[in-house]
Amino acid sequence: MTLTRREYMLAVACWAEVLRAQTLKLISFDAATAAEINAIACQIIPDDETPGADRAGVIWFIDRALAGYDEDKRELYKLGLKEMQSRRAEMFPGSSSIVGLAKDQQIQLLRSMEQTEFFQMVRYHVILGFLGHPMYGGNRDQVGWKLLGLEYSMHYEPPFGYYDAEARGGTK
Amino acid sequence: VSATFRYSDPVDFVVVGAGAAGGVMAKELSTAGFRVVALEQGPWRREKDFTHDEVGVTLRGAMINDHKKQPNTFRKAPDEKAKLQPAVGYCRTVGGGSVHFTANYWRFHPEDFNERSVLGAIPGADLRDWPITYDELEPYYTKAEWDLGVSGLSGSNPFDGPRSKPYPLPPMPVKSSGVLFENAAKKLGLHPFPAPVAVLSQSYKGRAACSHCGFCEAFGCEVGAKSSSLAALIPVAVKTGRCEIRPNSYVRKIEVGKDGRVTGAIYFDAAGKEIFQRAKAVVVCANGAETPRLLLMSKSNLFPQGLANSHGNVGTHLMFDNGAYALGYFDHPLNEFKSIVVTRVLHDFYRSDPKRGFYGGAGLDARFDFLPAAFALDGLDKDTPQWGSEWKRTVGQYYTHMMGIMAHTSCLAVEQNNISLDDEVKDAWGLPAMRVTFKNHPDDIKALHFMADRQHEILTAAGARKIWLTPGSLDGTTYSVHLMGTCRMGDDLATSVVNRHNRAHDVPNLFMVDGSSLVTCGRQQPTETIQALAYRAADHIQQAARRGEI
Repeated sequence: MTLTRREYMLAVACWAEVLRAQTLKLISFDAATAAEINAIACQIIPDDETPGADRAGVIWFIDRALAGYDEDKRELYKLGLKEMQSRRAEMFPGSSSIVGLAKDQQIQLLRSMEQTEFFQMVRYHVILGFLGHPMYGGNRDQVGWKLLGLEYSMHYEPPFGYYDAEARGGTK
Repeated sequence: VSATFRYSDPVDFVVVGAGAAGGVMAKELSTAGFRVVALEQGPWRREKDFTHDEVGVTLRGAMINDHKKQPNTFRKAPDEKAKLQPAVGYCRTVGGGSVHFTANYWRFHPEDFNERSVLGAIPGADLRDWPITYDELEPYYTKAEWDLGVSGLSGSNPFDGPRSKPYPLPPMPVKSSGVLFENAAKKLGLHPFPAPVAVLSQSYKGRAACSHCGFCEAFGCEVGAKSSSLAALIPVAVKTGRCEIRPNSYVRKIEVGKDGRVTGAIYFDAAGKEIFQRAKAVVVCANGAETPRLLLMSKSNLFPQGLANSHGNVGTHLMFDNGAYALGYFDHPLNEFKSIVVTRVLHDFYRSDPKRGFYGGAGLDARFDFLPAAFALDGLDKDTPQWGSEWKRTVGQYYTHMMGIMAHTSCLAVEQNNISLDDEVKDAWGLPAMRVTFKNHPDDIKALHFMADRQHEILTAAGARKIWLTPGSLDGTTYSVHLMGTCRMGDDLATSVVNRHNRAHDVPNLFMVDGSSLVTCGRQQPTETIQALAYRAADHIQQAARRGEI
């Protein structure tokens, strides 16, 4: 299923509404580009039975990274996204956006481009946004760390894990 | 209150680099009554400045040398043109590598000092005996352990040399990786032992014990429990009122007088202003890569090839940190994200055994030192998908159930592996970039393969459900954070740069004290040996100074 032009405009408008509600402003992307990058991010780390890139706010990490430490990657994003859009148009004639593609179409599109420098860079950023410190804008409510089973603490006491608990003869 | 000295007034010693060795020099020389200025290129971060920020610290390298401002060029052989490529990494902060290291604190073995005599020459390498023995260094290993605060269990490693004193602190509590490693190794007839680490298992000399926060390797300790130069030595030096630590000071040249003696160091301060600090003697502790670079940049009429380089030995015999890293997935959670990295080690394969058909060996340790993003980026086996729902589930399921075994393997000294100055590329200060020439000796690679099999055996015996080697484990290395061998210690001026007391053969009031003086690199984990050599050199230097022999 692909979205019509009207549905697409609606999706972008909703996205912009969501951003306003969060009282955050995009620095690097416009709302339409953010929606496209977010759609890619959401196939790299899907929100399925557990929170993924969307819930973690990965797009905010990327938006800020491209305005700061990774400013020199902006051109790669611009050109890479352009290439991905041409590929999309080839693969799914009549479609108008990545966010508007059906999920399995998005996966097909990304798979066809997973060896590109652009995809690898987005993957890198998505993972940093999901598992990096929340102060960078992503990993909201530590959902990334929770997926991995991490608690965040300055202090732990033994036993640390199952096997040392077993060796100590204590509770596991 | 830190001392402040005038630039024009010669202090007794300028120490270049306030790291693992420089911290020892600053503390030992100032407490002995000498006036010391320590020039450190990095900032002076304190405990409050350290973080738990993987993105900033490990992925963006906030505390290490900045390869954009301090480019390296790299090539595998002298006839190749070197290309821009990061090749060396070091912690750029007061306290240096001792601030962010894993804190494995191993002594070299007695046989590390005379392998050449025992094993004979190795074709394609320049294996040599040290001019000193383990017994000569032993009192200084002990001094380092007691001065800094080291946790361990004396007598637990049957392959260790004799020791005059036990460790000052008991071992750190064992982690799940340590339990699995120990049980598996014992099943295989090996001899695992509690890891000796420069981390406090109990409070020591007014410093707090480790809180097991888990951000140890690559990070600075927020509670001062890692026994770094920063936590254990610099404060003692500063308190004497005779030691001034000058952070953000990038040394570009050691100056020489007409008499062939050094007169001080020229450096750029934080504002880029050039300053000449006069001194009666200079101790270079800038690490095994920056020390030779500084000497090579310090050209003069008397030393046209660079300071202390009359025989062209400065920069040669560079040794890197080789290692193979095998990972295993287990049924139950280990939660290796807690506490220090390593709690069990074994040295059964340390000694070079001619029956294996190659030179070398390794110390093995149990660890899982992937931070969350690093694991998700490339920790999983390459046969699993690298994105999407299945990958996400696997990352989530595996992270707390992982451990690995690191084999810290030998690296033979090869003369043409070296640090030199690049002809074209400059750093942000307009100085010649560091050019690194390095290719592993074939025996280094054979050792990696041999150890990978041992790692697999141990992980299998430990009950791992799935085992894989991290990418590149068997390839040898082109990037190193252990920087060793470039100003070799020796009795012969023709084949070495410093003498048995770390004094330059060519210059009576110049000393090189860091990884550069290592003749062999043991089985990596060189920090304790670097610091023991520093304590020994400091002892010699202050005695010589008192006798008027510097």
